[in-house]
Amino acid sequence: MSRTLPLAGPWRRRVEGRRKQPRSPGQVLALLGLAVLAALLVAAMSGSVGLSPRVLLGEWPSPLAWQVWWQLRLPRLLLAALVGAMLAGSGAAMQGLFRNPLADPTLLGLASGAGLAVALWIVLLGGAGSSLGLYGQFLAGFLGALGVCVLVFALGQRQHGQEALFTLLLAGLAINTLAGAMGGVMAFIASDEQLRQLSLWGMGSLSHALWSATLGALIGIPPALWWLLRCARGLDLLQLGELTAHGAGLDAPRLKRHVVVATALGVGLCVALAGIIGFLGLLVPHCLRLWLGPGHRLLLPASMLGGALLLIVADTLARTLASPAEVPVGLLTSLLGGPYFLWLLLKRRARC
Amino acid sequence: MLSLIEAGFARPPTLAPFSDSLQPGELLAIVGPNGAGKSTLLSLLSGFRRPERGSVCLDDTPLSGWEPAALARRRALVAQSLTLGFDWPVRELVALGSAATASEIDAVLALLDLEALAERGAMSLSGGEAQRVMIARALCQLGLGRSEQTEPGQVLLLDEPTSALDIGQQQRLMRLLRHLAQAHRLAIACVLHDLNLAARYAHRVWLLERGHRIAAGTPAEVLDGRTLARVFEAELTVGSRQDDGSPLVLLAP
Repeated sequence: MSRTLPLAGPWRRRVEGRRKQPRSPGQVLALLGLAVLAALLVAAMSGSVGLSPRVLLGEWPSPLAWQVWWQLRLPRLLLAALVGAMLAGSGAAMQGLFRNPLADPTLLGLASGAGLAVALWIVLLGGAGSSLGLYGQFLAGFLGALGVCVLVFALGQRQHGQEALFTLLLAGLAINTLAGAMGGVMAFIASDEQLRQLSLWGMGSLSHALWSATLGALIGIPPALWWLLRCARGLDLLQLGELTAHGAGLDAPRLKRHVVVATALGVGLCVALAGIIGFLGLLVPHCLRLWLGPGHRLLLPASMLGGALLLIVADTLARTLASPAEVPVGLLTSLLGGPYFLWLLLKRRARC
Repeated sequence: MLSLIEAGFARPPTLAPFSDSLQPGELLAIVGPNGAGKSTLLSLLSGFRRPERGSVCLDDTPLSGWEPAALARRRALVAQSLTLGFDWPVRELVALGSAATASEIDAVLALLDLEALAERGAMSLSGGEAQRVMIARALCQLGLGRSEQTEPGQVLLLDEPTSALDIGQQQRLMRLLRHLAQAHRLAIACVLHDLNLAARYAHRVWLLERGHRIAAGTPAEVLDGRTLARVFEAELTVGSRQDDGSPLVLLAP
């Protein structure tokens, strides 16, 4: 009966206004891309040493300013952009894969699995001191993330719908707790030097981004992003359920393998480089989905751009809020994301 | 032509091997009690499950030998239920799995009385509406919204497409399926619970019981009162319609 009631003017406009405006994907991506560029420009100039174009170009030659910009700020910004894109992109892909808006690399324990592997690597195998150096840390992060990914996936596979959601969240909780406890054990048995390395890394910060780390991200993350983008159409089909998706021409096991490996590779790298940066993978795709709808062909690239944007902004805030000291950016995103997540849960409850 | 060649499953859910084929232009009803293996048979016909014995072939090539995208242009599947993680607009949902243009989507939506729901979120649909949306998606996948002739030898598989429809929608859907079968030479296999729908609209009926196909033939041949009473453990009588003589299944009070 409520359907036949005529809606009053302003209310109707509000209801209809909620439907997304038809915007072309190109426009949306161009808009987000421009925002990322603008954020990069602003971020490149702000910090404890202000580097306006005038400083960089006007008082030429100013070797110190250039050195700060080239050695510290540029690699850090690039790393922020890549890590942000990867975390948000993999969040969107995981949510598509699990057909569940609550899937996220941190929530499912992927990031803490990678974190634990990195801690094991630093404490038990010598970490940066060993011959493999930073690349060993990447590898550890990747293997840790892959292990958790496979485990979580095997658990989520058996059930469907609401039940699967609970299993996944509980599994994530258990893995997070376990990894936290194991991390504690690692910290306990670590030497002072290892402990310093561990805690610096673990807070989730981009502050030790030098070219060596950024280079690793530049090599590893773009292929993982590209890989995920190629899965977009398959993720769309998977939303129909596995049986129907198969009928529509999807090789679901292949798609799952691709998403899982690309996510583990990318997130493992991110965690190895920048520690655990929470909630980005949950927040960005969710907000963008409200705006753009659930289709992955637009959602995935938009999430990547949005994630890059958010992490550049968050990292700039982390650098400038308490300048010259620094807030770990992981702390900042969790402070932002935690309340948002609670609000999300409350809203879901209200809808049931 | 989609053929089963001594295809079946030994492991549960079991299906005793048998051979038969779906002819172009025919509407086949698959009937049987709960748990008889109807959905299992459908997943076998769609290629989702590979037979443990024998083979399922489309144009003499086993389904597993088909390239997934090419197979998807030839056969589409409508599953029993739709569970969505996200709120897709109906129009986008219908377009999943095909490169359909806006006018093709409109044409398919019109076939299933869905024009008014095109911009709605699929999560807010009723069961019957969601069912019709999934059927529309499958038709779109086979290119049935196009004005030109579709690929020959297409197959449409439906698992209980009428379970959530009201009686008028049931009639419109069954008429639509029969029309599509004849106009586009589509081979349609449809799991049905309503034996009277099967009797009225199907060209052929397969009756399944505990993983065995125990009867196949025209509705009049298969829907025999004594067999149905035994298979379904129901008290019923089968009469015949006055207009065309097709069987009419009536439950005893």
